[in-house]
Amino acid sequence: MTLFHFGNCVSLAYFPYFITYKCSGLSEYNAFWRCVQAGATYLFVQLCKMLFLATFFPTWEGAVGVYDFVGEFMKATVDLADLLGLHLVMSRNAGKGEYKIMVAAMGWATAELIMSRCIPFWVGARGIEFDWKYIQMSFDSNISLVHYIAMAAVVWMFTRYDLPKSFRLPVTILLGLCVYKGFLMELFVHVFLLGSWTALLVKAVLTGAISLCSLFLFVTLVHSN
Amino acid sequence: MFEEASEVLENMLKCSFPLSLVLFLVLVCPLRAEAAHEFSVYRMQQYDLQGQTYGSRNAILNTEARTVEAEVLSRRCVMVRLADFSYEKYQRALRQSAGAVVIILPQNMSTVPQDMVQQFMELEPELLATETIVPVYFALEDEELLSIYTQTQISSSSQGASSAAEVLLHTATANGFQMVTSGAQSKAVSDWAITSLEGRLTGSGGEDLPTIVLVAHYDSFGVAPWLSYGADSNGSGVAVLLELARLFSRLYSYKRTHAGYNLLFFLSGGGKFNYQGTKRWLEDNLDHTDSSLLQDNVAFVLCLDTLGNSDNLHLHVSKPPKEGSPQHLLLKELETVSAHQHPDLKFSMVHKKINLADDTLAWEHERFGIRRLPAFTLSHLESHRSPARHSIMDMRSVSSLEGAGEATAGPHVDLTKLSRNTKVIAEALARVIYNLTEKGVGGDVQIFTEQMQVQEDQLESLVDWLTAQPRAAQLLDKDSSIVNTLEYYLNRYLKDVKRHLVRADKRDPEFVFYDQLKQTMNAYRVKPAIFDLLLAVCIASYLGVLYLAVQNFGLLYGFLRRVTAPRVKQH
Repeated sequence: MTLFHFGNCVSLAYFPYFITYKCSGLSEYNAFWRCVQAGATYLFVQLCKMLFLATFFPTWEGAVGVYDFVGEFMKATVDLADLLGLHLVMSRNAGKGEYKIMVAAMGWATAELIMSRCIPFWVGARGIEFDWKYIQMSFDSNISLVHYIAMAAVVWMFTRYDLPKSFRLPVTILLGLCVYKGFLMELFVHVFLLGSWTALLVKAVLTGAISLCSLFLFVTLVHSN
Repeated sequence: MFEEASEVLENMLKCSFPLSLVLFLVLVCPLRAEAAHEFSVYRMQQYDLQGQTYGSRNAILNTEARTVEAEVLSRRCVMVRLADFSYEKYQRALRQSAGAVVIILPQNMSTVPQDMVQQFMELEPELLATETIVPVYFALEDEELLSIYTQTQISSSSQGASSAAEVLLHTATANGFQMVTSGAQSKAVSDWAITSLEGRLTGSGGEDLPTIVLVAHYDSFGVAPWLSYGADSNGSGVAVLLELARLFSRLYSYKRTHAGYNLLFFLSGGGKFNYQGTKRWLEDNLDHTDSSLLQDNVAFVLCLDTLGNSDNLHLHVSKPPKEGSPQHLLLKELETVSAHQHPDLKFSMVHKKINLADDTLAWEHERFGIRRLPAFTLSHLESHRSPARHSIMDMRSVSSLEGAGEATAGPHVDLTKLSRNTKVIAEALARVIYNLTEKGVGGDVQIFTEQMQVQEDQLESLVDWLTAQPRAAQLLDKDSSIVNTLEYYLNRYLKDVKRHLVRADKRDPEFVFYDQLKQTMNAYRVKPAIFDLLLAVCIASYLGVLYLAVQNFGLLYGFLRRVTAPRVKQH
């Protein structure tokens, strides 16, 4: 039955992507290869980030239980490269704003799904031992999808020349939140000692809030013209 | 999207068909995952003695865990705690052809109450007597194992009548455990060599001196070889023999006290398996060599077996010693010494004829008796059938318990009594070899005092070292550290220290040992099969809800538009 469990986890992780792809109408625009290109850009950006982190950041030699806030903060700052990558993808695609956002986000998120989830599922979910963490990982990948869509939308809005002045601040704040979301989550888990399911719930709520705000701003921006 | 994706995949597959085959093979191969808990388990004895098979025949298991309360035990691994263990439950598990039995022993055996220890000690030979194909393992309890046991117990006892909703809830929340051992099936060890050690102190005064042989077997026995520490039986015997070697070698090193007796010390292996070491040693010395100390003038053979406790001392003989023989002299001296110097000690002779129809011989002296050498065994046990001789409960107890005045459960070594027994034997032997009674030396004169006294801390360190590791005969091959250390120790005090190896005969082996006695067992947390189906149903419903949400995303979009529209109008 463990292969069954593997199937469960993979379907829980992957089907929402499939549903989103189908229902957002991307399939009508023949966007498959563009998504793959976005995925390739993701790989490249992750590689650069890893090299950068490995070269410039020393390993943490302090006590085991203490959480290195400053170090982790600096590491999270490197995630700004994600934003640059998304911007690069979107600038290369011609089309409407929504199309660009969706293509970039889908490709990015799918690449992350394949790279970071396939091997843990293959190795872990197929074994005899059962652990809830694989189901949690699948949920986490669903949340990441929403997160990347929101992030792509915010990046797009940030680079618009016709962005009203009053929107600059909220968009920048949202951008910062997107980049440091991972860091904030670890902070919460460490300070409040959250259980794994609670942490997942907090992550979902946070991502939901960010995405609602960005959607709100997006709608206002697009339909104010 | 599927069309494009399938095109890409087709192209890939056309030029790399072997790749897909490899992929398929990789897909179906089983996987080793990290276990919830990994712990060492020790298998029950498995051996053949003189053609008769004993113990558990099987070593591998890969079954689900249950406790005794469950109704269905077949093909399951039955886990029992020592506190709940009884012979009826064991028989029940065997009758239902359980997959395995794992008996969980407390980490600190000295905390087990007296009656439970006694009960278990009586059960041990019964467990071994019934040959079974069910693997029986012993494990030492720790926190995780205890939690695994409690969880298994809860799920086992609730297997009875309960409503469907409860069963569903149960499948979602409860954990089952799959027990898997990592080793292979047990097979006979070929060419196992049992080592015995001998050393001597030659008497003064020419050839043809009478010889006194002191024998103790150094191996131990219990229901699980890796857990048999054998503190009293026969760690105490070995300690006494080594201390006597030290004392008499000291006496023999001075010309004035160099007596006219040869002293031959023999540490025999395989003692618990019908004294295999002694048997072969006797054969080699009496049948195959031309001259040996054993062939000429043997005064008597004194075997030391279990001397670490109690205020009784029994001299076991197979026929009562004749008047005037050296045997009789030793008997008299032992009576004298114990009467005058240690009145609290009750010394007696026990006469038991050698019964050759029995499966195994009773005491070690019977081996010598069969070869017509005068021999006896000194022991504080009255009967050779005493469970203390074959128990895993025979351990070096924690000394703090002794100091607190509590009676320690189970056989153990009491150092004051051990050193007293050593002194009694040393005094009696000295009186024999120096002929003190004839010379008129009174019974209350003590020889081994002051510089020559029996050193209790020496005995303590010997017993501590001997009980620090299991000494089952199957675990001590000729290169083991115990054999080497014993040889080194004998070399310090005795001359002509030799090893003597016993290997089983190829065609008709007297003893056969089996391996895979210690394994690592993994306990994997598993969920019942219905759980996966339940999860699939939940995921399908979640995906359905998600699909509807994404389809109707336009509703949210329109709502937000309407919310923002008034704002725009205000601008």
